[in-house]
Amino acid sequence: MKKRILLAEDEPNIVESLRFLLERAGFDLSVENNGHKALAAALDGSFDLLILDVMLPGIDGYEILRQLRADRSVHDMPVLMLTAKGQREDRERAMDGGVDVFMTKPFANAEIVSAVRELAQRTKP
Amino acid sequence: MEQRTESNRDRSIVGTRIRRQRRELGISQTELARRVGISASYMNLIEWNKRQIAGSLLRKIAESLDLDLAELDGAAENRLFDALNEIAHLPSLAPLDIEDNQTGELIGRFPGWARGIAALARSEQEATSLAQTLSDRLSNDPFLGETVHRMLTRIAAVRSAAEILTEYKDTTAEERERFYAIIDEESRVLSDVGEALAAYLDKVDEPNRTLTPLDEVEALFDVNANRFEDIETAASAFSQSLTDPHTVSRQSMARAMVDEHLQPVIAATIAQHVQIIETSTARVRAQRALIDYAVGAILMPLPAFQHQAELLKYDVEALADAFSVDIDAVCQRLTALPASISTPRFGYYRANAAGALIKQVGLDSLSIPRYAPACPLWVLYRAQQSPEAVIRQRAIFPSGERFVFVARARNTGPTGFGKPRQYVTDMIAMPENDARHTVYAPDPTALVEEVGPSCRLCPRPNCVHRVEDPLAD
Repeated sequence: MKKRILLAEDEPNIVESLRFLLERAGFDLSVENNGHKALAAALDGSFDLLILDVMLPGIDGYEILRQLRADRSVHDMPVLMLTAKGQREDRERAMDGGVDVFMTKPFANAEIVSAVRELAQRTKP
Repeated sequence: MEQRTESNRDRSIVGTRIRRQRRELGISQTELARRVGISASYMNLIEWNKRQIAGSLLRKIAESLDLDLAELDGAAENRLFDALNEIAHLPSLAPLDIEDNQTGELIGRFPGWARGIAALARSEQEATSLAQTLSDRLSNDPFLGETVHRMLTRIAAVRSAAEILTEYKDTTAEERERFYAIIDEESRVLSDVGEALAAYLDKVDEPNRTLTPLDEVEALFDVNANRFEDIETAASAFSQSLTDPHTVSRQSMARAMVDEHLQPVIAATIAQHVQIIETSTARVRAQRALIDYAVGAILMPLPAFQHQAELLKYDVEALADAFSVDIDAVCQRLTALPASISTPRFGYYRANAAGALIKQVGLDSLSIPRYAPACPLWVLYRAQQSPEAVIRQRAIFPSGERFVFVARARNTGPTGFGKPRQYVTDMIAMPENDARHTVYAPDPTALVEEVGPSCRLCPRPNCVHRVEDPLAD
């Protein structure tokens, strides 16, 4: 059974690349391009892993992360934060909020694929 | 106390300066005396520093000799003295043990070097402020933050697509086409973002730009001696059609006339000063200031204003009544009066409740420190204790210069029971000699209050209001 990944990202060309890379790597990918929809999808509990952009229309990535970590049923879902906001305080804020991997844009394809693989292994089959 | 000695020294050589300049111009003592309307023997006493002069006679002599008044009466030296003293006590120069008791000697013997040091210090200060501004911008500027974010996002898309094309050899033709298109699209956007960023940084980096929009607008008024002839001419055509006697409707009619007819001349005035008004914020502020100016010009046409002002002896309240305008408009208008021997020189200052100077027009001889708090003893800061009352202050500075300050605090917020009042204070300043022509001329026995420019520049040892140590002990 393929692992299911939720990608919260509003840049269509980045979505396009990640879809190619992650599907090739054997994952099942769903995409939401705004904060509200991404939060609702993350909370429904059907995903194994969340790749989360910070700057999203509606609710930002930090708020999605906060609500996710506060929700009893999905609080332990692995989260990879992928953002162009890579300053020290952004990284600290993300780590304090409980992300598992913090990755900045631009990213190396191999790096993000291997990080996703590793996070996916943490979840039950 | 060094400062006072110095200004006395400056004053004592006024005569020498007059004599030197008169000889250079080839004018006889008798001729100069005749031109300024005094006897030759009195002129002789002046030239040999046996009589001290000031006020209108000094101005007449300066005009006859084609000299800048500041050059003649030592105001320029006093400013230089203050500037050098401030430099001598900069914390960063403390280890150098600068001989601050020799400042006057330096100015007297090596005026060029003295001016050079002051100019260097000024440009160093400006460079430091600029560096601070740029550093603040880099870390807090929303445009830069947003642009960098956009660039990184675009680069991420380009890089990821390019890696896919090079690393995955089994992509379909359709996939390849799609990723080439992504690279093409994203690199175009990226170059637009890069160009916008370069243009923005270019603007930030422009040399010699004045630092705040407020500075830019002040400089605009400064280089025009507070008067804009084109706007005056354009405004005069509309003054006569203002027939309504009520203040509010006169003002709104004048404002409507400006909006309808004078915007082009205002825009042209700003366009003529692109070197001074550089930023878009300053353009907006300059436009606002010139609209106020033009409204004033319509409500108080210069010839009529000049006439009434002389008649009413520059009484701000009486002038406000005569022209059905607000007091602040009259204050501003006074600074636009063309210079003449019988016209007092006015400066106009406005401070808010926090003591911040929010407007400053005219009067070179009265310098208010730009980077330090001013002297709290000025009536400008006291007037809010008695709102709406016109308060006069006869002020003497440590240099011996005397000014008359006239201030009045007014409410600028909405009125109504229980509503907090938001006062600002308008103040006009004039040299005491000039005040003779005005209703504010102080009685010779009236109290003279000792004030200063600011604590750091003020040598008065026993002032109980001192908050900082003086630079010159």
